[in-house]
Amino acid sequence: MSTPSDAIKYAMKPSRWVLFWRTFFPYQLYRFIWINLRMLRMIFKSHQ
Amino acid sequence: MARVVILGAGISGHTAALVLRRRLSREHEVLVVTPNRQWNWIPSNIWVGVGLMKKEDVTFELKPVYDRQGITLRQARAVEIHPEGSADSSKPFVTIESTEAGKEGSREEISYDYLINATGPKLNFGATPGLGPDGNSLSVCTYGHAEQAAQELAAGIERMKNGEKLTFVVGTGHGTCTCEGAAFEYIFNLEFEIRRAGVRNNARIVMLTNEAELGDFGVDGLQLERGGYVIPSKAFAESLFVERGVEWITGAHVQKVEPNQVFYETLDGESHSLAFDFAMLLPPFTGVGLKAFDKAGADISSTVFMPNQFMKVDADYTPKPYEDWKATDWPSTYQSPRYPNVFAVGIAFAPPHQLSRPRKTKNGTVIAPAPPRTGMPSGIMGRAVAMSIADRIEKGDDAPLHRASMGTMGAACVASAGSSFLRGSAASMTMYPVVPDYERFPQHGRDLGLTFGELGSAGHWIKRILHSMFIYKAKARFGWWLIPE
Repeated sequence: MSTPSDAIKYAMKPSRWVLFWRTFFPYQLYRFIWINLRMLRMIFKSHQ
Repeated sequence: MARVVILGAGISGHTAALVLRRRLSREHEVLVVTPNRQWNWIPSNIWVGVGLMKKEDVTFELKPVYDRQGITLRQARAVEIHPEGSADSSKPFVTIESTEAGKEGSREEISYDYLINATGPKLNFGATPGLGPDGNSLSVCTYGHAEQAAQELAAGIERMKNGEKLTFVVGTGHGTCTCEGAAFEYIFNLEFEIRRAGVRNNARIVMLTNEAELGDFGVDGLQLERGGYVIPSKAFAESLFVERGVEWITGAHVQKVEPNQVFYETLDGESHSLAFDFAMLLPPFTGVGLKAFDKAGADISSTVFMPNQFMKVDADYTPKPYEDWKATDWPSTYQSPRYPNVFAVGIAFAPPHQLSRPRKTKNGTVIAPAPPRTGMPSGIMGRAVAMSIADRIEKGDDAPLHRASMGTMGAACVASAGSSFLRGSAASMTMYPVVPDYERFPQHGRDLGLTFGELGSAGHWIKRILHSMFIYKAKARFGWWLIPE
């Protein structure tokens, strides 16, 4: 079993800065547009 | 006049029914057989399971939609297929058994010109002793199961508010389960709600999964470009587990679930047990147990279905080692090799093999995630088969079939990790193709330009919009056909 305390030696833990960007509204608004465009590209390719 | 019978009204069957109805003139009949009166947007059952949504938010009555569209509905379960007809008639037919109130168990024979088997899975709780809501664990596979899980979670939160320390176990209830993504979503929504209730310090939360590594998701994992590196989805997933303080046990086959105790074997062949206060463990799937009969009435189920009761289609079912698996093994037309007017889509078709590397313990226990074939791929298959049948009805039996192989289609998966407009998040992931193709993409098996993963509030917004958009589409509201699967 991997507990958080020993897994942290091997897993990447996000920094406070990364966590901030994950919920920072203006940045997430930009990511919302970017992710949607990227998903649409994949969706159109899959429907060809 | 032709009649197309569709068995099942899940994502693939319902999509096929709507597309066929739109394509075919009204002289042709589209008939759907489904045991449930209600359509369920299953991906949102996760939110029902933590008490954020009600049954009414994820379901709607099918009959008014089908009446408006001109689709015939039979509330029944299919029990037999007679693809050669009977001794009296060469017209193929299915035998159905009503599930409608007041008519339960009454049988009817329905002839067809084309048949789509979209029956989905049987939730095989019986594969593991004590698994499931009738045993000692919970599920979110149906809205009823999810509502029960939400009640248990609420009771657990109350106990923690009174100072008790509880253990929550979420994951897969058998070594051959699929839908690990659903367990991933559920555990992080559960963790988010426990944190929101202010009792996180009293909760130990453990993921128990048949995946050999976190982030496998039954698709052999993904490679993603992040921060200038190509990283495995294992690293992506583990970072979230570490951030949220969630423990994990990988490569686990659950042997039995007793009250407040789960027993499991891991890939090293060792047996373990874990005490719990709350366990949501997904069941493995099999086919629904349809039987097939020839003209003389002899049982031909073994030639139409694989041993796991999923229907054989145009896949390469030759047994071969993992190293020899190819994307081209996967079906593209979903046509039965024996009966050209019979198709199987969604979970109902038999996959040629897993996507993740199958593993066995030293005791011979198979721990191999089954391949997911739900959501977007199911919808695309349903559309492709509907287009094929519509073409054949309109243009004749020589019309070429439409193709939609999981080896040439991608999938988008938005895995919720907590529901809140500003503080919530979800992992937005896409992969292309679903089945790794090492001939086209020798290094990673997938196109890295179309395969990505990212965690953030934007993902939650997308997940919430998809919920509303797909229910709108399923209700066949104005312009539904403009929304891609």
